Amino acid sequence: MLIDWFTVGAQVLNFLVLVYLLKRFLYGPIIKAMDEREQKIASRLKEAQMHRDAAEQEQARYEEKNRQLDGQRAELLSAMKHDVEEMRKTMVHGVRTEVEGVRANWYEALDREKDAFLRDLQHRVGEHAYALARQALQEMADMDVEIHIARVFEARLRNLKEDEGEKLRQAMDRSQGKAVLRTAFDLPQDAVQGISGFLESLKTGPVDLTLETTPDVVCGIELVIHGYKIAWSLGAYLESLETDFSRAFEAGRVRQEIQPPPKEQEDPPEILQTPPETVPGDTIPGDHE
Amino acid sequence: MRISPDAVVLVQWGPVALNATIVFTWAVMALMVVGSWLVTRKLSTGTRLSRWQNLLEVLVAGMRDQIRDVSRQDPDPFLPFIGSLFLFVATCNLLGVIPGYEPPTGSLSTTVALAACVFVAVPLYGITRRGLAYFTDYIKPSVFMLPFNIMGELSRTLALAVRLFGNVMSGSMIAAILLAVTPLIFPVVMQALGLLTGLIQAYIFAILAMVYIAAAARVRKREETPPTYDVEKGDSSHG
Repeated sequence: MLIDWFTVGAQVLNFLVLVYLLKRFLYGPIIKAMDEREQKIASRLKEAQMHRDAAEQEQARYEEKNRQLDGQRAELLSAMKHDVEEMRKTMVHGVRTEVEGVRANWYEALDREKDAFLRDLQHRVGEHAYALARQALQEMADMDVEIHIARVFEARLRNLKEDEGEKLRQAMDRSQGKAVLRTAFDLPQDAVQGISGFLESLKTGPVDLTLETTPDVVCGIELVIHGYKIAWSLGAYLESLETDFSRAFEAGRVRQEIQPPPKEQEDPPEILQTPPETVPGDTIPGDHE
Repeated sequence: MRISPDAVVLVQWGPVALNATIVFTWAVMALMVVGSWLVTRKLSTGTRLSRWQNLLEVLVAGMRDQIRDVSRQDPDPFLPFIGSLFLFVATCNLLGVIPGYEPPTGSLSTTVALAACVFVAVPLYGITRRGLAYFTDYIKPSVFMLPFNIMGELSRTLALAVRLFGNVMSGSMIAAILLAVTPLIFPVVMQALGLLTGLIQAYIFAILAMVYIAAAARVRKREETPPTYDVEKGDSSHG
């Protein structure tokens, strides 16, 4: 008999015991360990996912901040560019205004110098012309210029137009006989008497004629009566000479101004340097007016 | 020639005979339980674990997967029974390489005992999971099939026992015969083949047991689906 029923029963019992022992020592602990590990891994994954979510949120926050900073930087840059441009325009305008001012001062100084020069020229030319004429007439025709000038002046006075003579008379009345006679030279006595006689003929009463010698009256005579002045000199001729010179100066200045204006950034310093050399007032001849 | 280790009686107390089958079974049981205890007394739940724990986890996880594949149900209720069947039969067979060792599964008494356990476990699982509705399986498709169903249960249990006994016993017999005829080399090859056969038999035994139990328990799931005919509608009331 191959089947021993006692052994069968014993083996059934053995197997049931084995099932219990294996469940107690093998399946239970192993499954529990595996479940715990799975839970740990799951919790770790969940934690990792949370960290990842937090990191992504942080990243999104920083990206948003970066975008804001970029925007602010662009705005600041734009504002700064605008400010710099405004400042540049202001500075250029200031420099241009300053250059214009310096140029205007320079031209003004130049004009003053020109006027002084012309006056000086007029004066010197008058003196030289008078001296030359006087000397030439003295030597060549034995004529005294002063006497002739005085006579001519007296003759002109006597030949004044009626309305001018009337004005002279009214002036004599207002001055109560006071008159000033200015010459560049000492008048001969007869010439003074002639003029004085003429003035007395205008006014009944004594005439107080004051003689003044001044180089300003270039080669001529001036009669001043209470603001009314009658002059006879080379002044008119010399003024035409001054007018000619003045025109020549103006022509030269216009040619200078027609030339292309200097560049904004480079030329102004050169202009700034030149005027001070021409401006000093000491070089202007004395103003006689 | 000795066919079964039952014949080797070590101690005899009247009707109680302590034979080699029982002793070797105890030895196998002690090996399995002590081995399990040694490994599982300090288990790691972290990511670093010992090789033996890794081996046991692979075994348990593999058995759970197999049970889940076969039964299509939660494997944990079946694992202690099916897993113990497989591990016991496999261990008994694999230890056959040790000289002087007689596999307990080479005893018809052992295989009958295991088959009897399966024979009892099938209705137990069926009743546990389905209630008394389990017994309606025996009168399907009609009451006249009841004797044939019972005979089927018995015959498949007998086949389970005889298949395992025959394979293991024949392996041992062949090894013994070849050892007498050609004592060199060839028995070693047959022993190696015996290892493979023993493992396959353990697998077949466990899988068949699982199939029988799952068939008894799985009907319940079919009954939970919308019933298509009256008999199943009446069964669902016991679920």
